[in-house]
Amino acid sequence: MRPSPSPTAVVADDERLMREQIVGRLKEAWPELAIVGEAGNGAEAIALVQSQEPDIVFLDIRMPGMDGLEAARALAGRVHIVFITAHDEYAIRAFEHGAVDYLLKPADPERLAVTCERLRARLAQAPDPMTDLLAQLSQRLGAGGVAPREYLRWVQASVGASIRMIPTGDILFFRAEDKYTRVQTAGFEALIRKPIKELIDELDPKEFWQIHRATVVRVDAIGEVSRNLRGNQVVHLKGRSEKLEVSRTFNHLFRQM
Amino acid sequence: MSTDQRRPDTGNAAGRGESGPAAPPMGFRQALAEIRKGILVLWWSFFDWLAVISWKALLLVAFLGLVLGGFLGRPGPVLVLIIVSLIIKVVARGKRRAELTASEATRRAESEQLERAVLEARMAALQAQIEPHFLFNTLASIDQLILSDPPRASRMQQSLIRYLRSALPQMREPGRPALGQQVALSVAFLDIMGMRMEGRLQSVVNVPDGLKSAGFPSMMLQTLVENAIKHGLEPKPEGGRIEIGAEVVDGQLAVHVQDTGIGFMPKGEVGVGLANVRERLQALYGGRAELIISVPPAGGTCATIKVPYEVASTSAGT
Repeated sequence: MRPSPSPTAVVADDERLMREQIVGRLKEAWPELAIVGEAGNGAEAIALVQSQEPDIVFLDIRMPGMDGLEAARALAGRVHIVFITAHDEYAIRAFEHGAVDYLLKPADPERLAVTCERLRARLAQAPDPMTDLLAQLSQRLGAGGVAPREYLRWVQASVGASIRMIPTGDILFFRAEDKYTRVQTAGFEALIRKPIKELIDELDPKEFWQIHRATVVRVDAIGEVSRNLRGNQVVHLKGRSEKLEVSRTFNHLFRQM
Repeated sequence: MSTDQRRPDTGNAAGRGESGPAAPPMGFRQALAEIRKGILVLWWSFFDWLAVISWKALLLVAFLGLVLGGFLGRPGPVLVLIIVSLIIKVVARGKRRAELTASEATRRAESEQLERAVLEARMAALQAQIEPHFLFNTLASIDQLILSDPPRASRMQQSLIRYLRSALPQMREPGRPALGQQVALSVAFLDIMGMRMEGRLQSVVNVPDGLKSAGFPSMMLQTLVENAIKHGLEPKPEGGRIEIGAEVVDGQLAVHVQDTGIGFMPKGEVGVGLANVRERLQALYGGRAELIISVPPAGGTCATIKVPYEVASTSAGT
């Protein structure tokens, strides 16, 4: 804690009007509090806290670039943090149990007075590291942290001269073609500038199966599996004429289920 | 049954005809009509009986008939009757099959109607909802502007009213809305976002007046606009530009929303909004409409909805 005579604060919100509002109402609720800087995103907030070393930072949760939660993770323990939010039920519930406070937009003067009172009492103590709260918040808001592995939901591919985003649910199968991969949907063919080997790692193994060194098929598109004259398994697609051969390495996929 | 009841009646009429030759010819003709009706009913019940009875039972009856005919020493007419019956049986089966097909078709039509009703109800639920975050942030901004800039507060509030009038499901007009209304809704939304994001958002609308009366499903354009702001421009610290455009290509109305935002995230969740648009297009137009997400050469995202070009059903000219 710095033994400064009057407490200081930084306000971070991506909308200028909202910063104006919070600064204005803080002036009324807590005239001694000096606002030493305003930030428009998380990265600016961190830079300001580092240069100005304020006692308190008011952080909007939703901000461009680096959001309020990420900024809080970087700043926790160094400064008292108050979150600002317009509407986030889950977030608010998390705060109820937490050590820090929050402000709901538009800041209600009476509620703001309570927040200032709490802050005044807390300024004497060291800022809370908020480890539990931040973990909980990240989980609820689905931001940052160790997210579960994410798979491709859209595939970026060229169709003629244009580049399209194709939802994986529209894709029937992928076929290796040198350095490229050919994508087949019900309506058209497209080309991905990525070898099939790399692509496989990014696809959800529940949604797509590799059935051959050069072929990956969407499980839901499979109609039936038969054997050809050489005794190899062959995948038939629903409502399509293509037949895709299954190589022996992948035979186990279709063994009597 | 009915034919049996009618028989004594016809007998009476014939008797009357015999006893009184002076009886009016009208009565006699009526009696004849009655007889014809009776025979007709008898004939159709025989026909239906033939249609329903199994081949095995029919052959058994025919065999018994032949035996009986043999006993009576007159197998000839019985044989003729049997052959006629067999021919009728073949014809009757066709008629019955047609009847069954007809009733099946009626049933299917009813269930299809039910399905459509269910689909419509589901689609109403699928239509884009107003985001509470947007609403509260806008109200908070108006709250601040009332103090700092009352005329702008008033402008923002008017835009909010215009937006809510067309975005609230209860307030939407029934029928297929016109593209013009949908563009007006999104323009009101962009006005608000422009005032809130200030220099970070520029918007351009390139929709020819001639296309404003074209039919376009409600809230789809708005979903694309909200996506462009939320996922494309808001996360970008310096912001960017959004453009709404419309044109007719090969009889299809193509409406696009292009932004210069951070670009599409291939690993992100398939947005609920986009998934709903796809599902609704499928329900409304079958395979005749599509949603295409593409990446413009300069970066950002371009989302295009193509629907068959037709004039709106309720073309309230707003």
